[in-house]
Amino acid sequence: MKLKEFWQKNGAFLTVVVLLAALSFVGWMAMGQKSFVRTMLSGLTLGALYFMVAAGLTLIFGLMDVLNFAHGTMLMIGAYAGWQFYTNPTFLFGLAPLAVALMTGLGATSLLQPVVMNWPIPERWQRGLRTALLLAAVAVGLIGVLGLDILGLADTAMVATMVAANPLAEATPQEPLASFWFRPALLLAAGLLMALAQARPGDRTQFVRREAAWRSWVTVGVLLALTVVATLVRESGPLAVLQMNANLRFVLSLIAGALIGAGLGAVVETSMVRPLYVRPQFLVLLTLGLAFVLKEVTQVLWDPLAYQMSRPPLFAQPGKADNILAWFSGHNTTINIVGVTFPSYRLFIIALGVMMLIALGVLMNYSRLGMIIRAGVQDREMVEALGINVRRVFTLVFSLGTGLAALGGIGAAPFIPVEPAMGDRFLMQGFITVVIGGMGSYSGAAIGALLLGLARAFGDFTALKYHLSPAISEASTVIIMAVVLLVRPAGLFGKKE
Amino acid sequence: MDNLLEVQDIHTYIGQFHILEGVSLKVRRGSITVLLGRNGAGKTTTLKSILGLTPPRQGRVILDGQDIQGRRAFDIATLGVGYVPEHRAIFRDLSVAENLRIAERKKGDLDRKADFIFGLFPDLKRLYKLPGNHLSGGQQQMLAVARALVPDNKLLLIDEPSEGLAPVLIEQMMEAIRHLSATTTVLLVEQNFIMASQLSESYYIMDDGKIVHQGAMADLVQNKALIHQYLGASVNAGGGGQ
Repeated sequence: MKLKEFWQKNGAFLTVVVLLAALSFVGWMAMGQKSFVRTMLSGLTLGALYFMVAAGLTLIFGLMDVLNFAHGTMLMIGAYAGWQFYTNPTFLFGLAPLAVALMTGLGATSLLQPVVMNWPIPERWQRGLRTALLLAAVAVGLIGVLGLDILGLADTAMVATMVAANPLAEATPQEPLASFWFRPALLLAAGLLMALAQARPGDRTQFVRREAAWRSWVTVGVLLALTVVATLVRESGPLAVLQMNANLRFVLSLIAGALIGAGLGAVVETSMVRPLYVRPQFLVLLTLGLAFVLKEVTQVLWDPLAYQMSRPPLFAQPGKADNILAWFSGHNTTINIVGVTFPSYRLFIIALGVMMLIALGVLMNYSRLGMIIRAGVQDREMVEALGINVRRVFTLVFSLGTGLAALGGIGAAPFIPVEPAMGDRFLMQGFITVVIGGMGSYSGAAIGALLLGLARAFGDFTALKYHLSPAISEASTVIIMAVVLLVRPAGLFGKKE
Repeated sequence: MDNLLEVQDIHTYIGQFHILEGVSLKVRRGSITVLLGRNGAGKTTTLKSILGLTPPRQGRVILDGQDIQGRRAFDIATLGVGYVPEHRAIFRDLSVAENLRIAERKKGDLDRKADFIFGLFPDLKRLYKLPGNHLSGGQQQMLAVARALVPDNKLLLIDEPSEGLAPVLIEQMMEAIRHLSATTTVLLVEQNFIMASQLSESYYIMDDGKIVHQGAMADLVQNKALIHQYLGASVNAGGGGQ
């Protein structure tokens, strides 16, 4: 009985481990040590990237039943944001005041609500008024960005990448403050108009929580201060970033990329996904459409080209480190691992993936948020009935998931081309990973990503060696998925049927 | 105010279906009120409408003198409403301890209530570290009730606590509900008429989305014809208690 329970709980995991160990042994024997180690490491690199995409996908699907087709695009956005920040952040600093100003206005919703809900507006006009307010917000926002040289700002990092000269020389001067200040002011107004529409003027049936009012005041105050700061550092900010230590800049660009991804995720969830939870069939269309829109916008801003982000000096010193320890003093491009020369940056990706796995594991198993997510995957209605604001948890999880994908994107940027479609193949592999691992299980996503990464790498090796079509490595992932689904329809660690 | 909960003529729809067609009921403070009726009569929907999980389109719900109509479920719950759903809906992937801790509204709720909860359900103390899916059906049901006791709730909505339990466990569950009614008010949905009749003072009978009868439990126990008409096969024909 005990044994049976143990098997039920850990059977899938043990089977995978034993299978992988056996296959590794066969591979080692057949391929020889050098090829085996190299292929293994490539597989782990891919697996780490797949995991960064799949972890968010599986949490978002598990908790909210949303198949997020824009997830690969979030990876792409993260890559672009990180590349911009690392190469020349003029664009990011130029737009930051506008974005923060808009958010400040939107943040005022809960402050406006108790006031405007009592306005004497007849019920039949309320809907029209909300629409009018939204249209006005869009108009004001457009006036706010009218004439702003966004393309010029976007060009700076592009040029810096292509000429590979001193990036400092490419910093484009920003619009002078005297003519710029009205832009964040207008976007603040646009945000306030949207907040007004959201606060539903005249609708007395809505319930307002008064206890939380001071929190909204603090939020709006902090955002307002940030708007002012962002407006003032438009020109000095990029220079300061470019003058700092390049390794530090790289770390900051990882953080910036992840934060931009998480912020975008939060905006997408609250503004577009939330109204559609009751009509889930449209969510696929929404996220798919969003992916197209974001890809097209990226193409307009940075042209349909592929860029290579340069590696930070930490991984770019010439020569080969004799072992991992030697790399810590030499920071070489490549490292000798049991006779195999392997790029040090790819080892960093593997480490990043492992760190993310550990961080997620701690979050899911030891924090209250993790507990709520695990409970919500099974029964979100009951979680709500316990007095937990599930809607806020949804936003947090969506933004966490997109943030992880964006982090994966900026992590990948130094060794795969940064281009508008870069997220697409990761999205496909991410979905397969999630299906293999089981919807809603982050540990399943980790095992699935590992399986897929190794399958791709060893598939490529086999195809190359025996002059087969490279399609067999792509097919291998789908074959694994089919086999897993035949044996366990809910996936290896699936909780949902 | 005498009534902790007043439901006034609520109409609830699920999709296109008009499930509750004007339900009104009152739950006196400190009492156990039972909602009887056949499967599909709308009992569970009534509980969910009170809690805001299936918000009513018309009518009012008044909790402790406060109109809670239109509030979201988590908000109503934080006002002090505990919910024990049917089918032992505990979180199977969470341990017993986590199932209880997730219900905390303030830090330390569980520590304060632990003795009370383990006094009612001593089994749970022994099972504290186990995952929820290792519990037997009865243990899961006790955990579901215990979870609603972790925060300070004024009102407990309990949906069929005896469903699928062995007779011994039904006794224990009844004892527990009787015990906790000393400190809170309970609105109970129950098919087991014997259990219902022994626990509660007043009843409502639902049929087809409406309240068809109401009154004091002592009168209902005498009225075999009424019991038979509305509770039918789900009740032992002699179901008048002991």
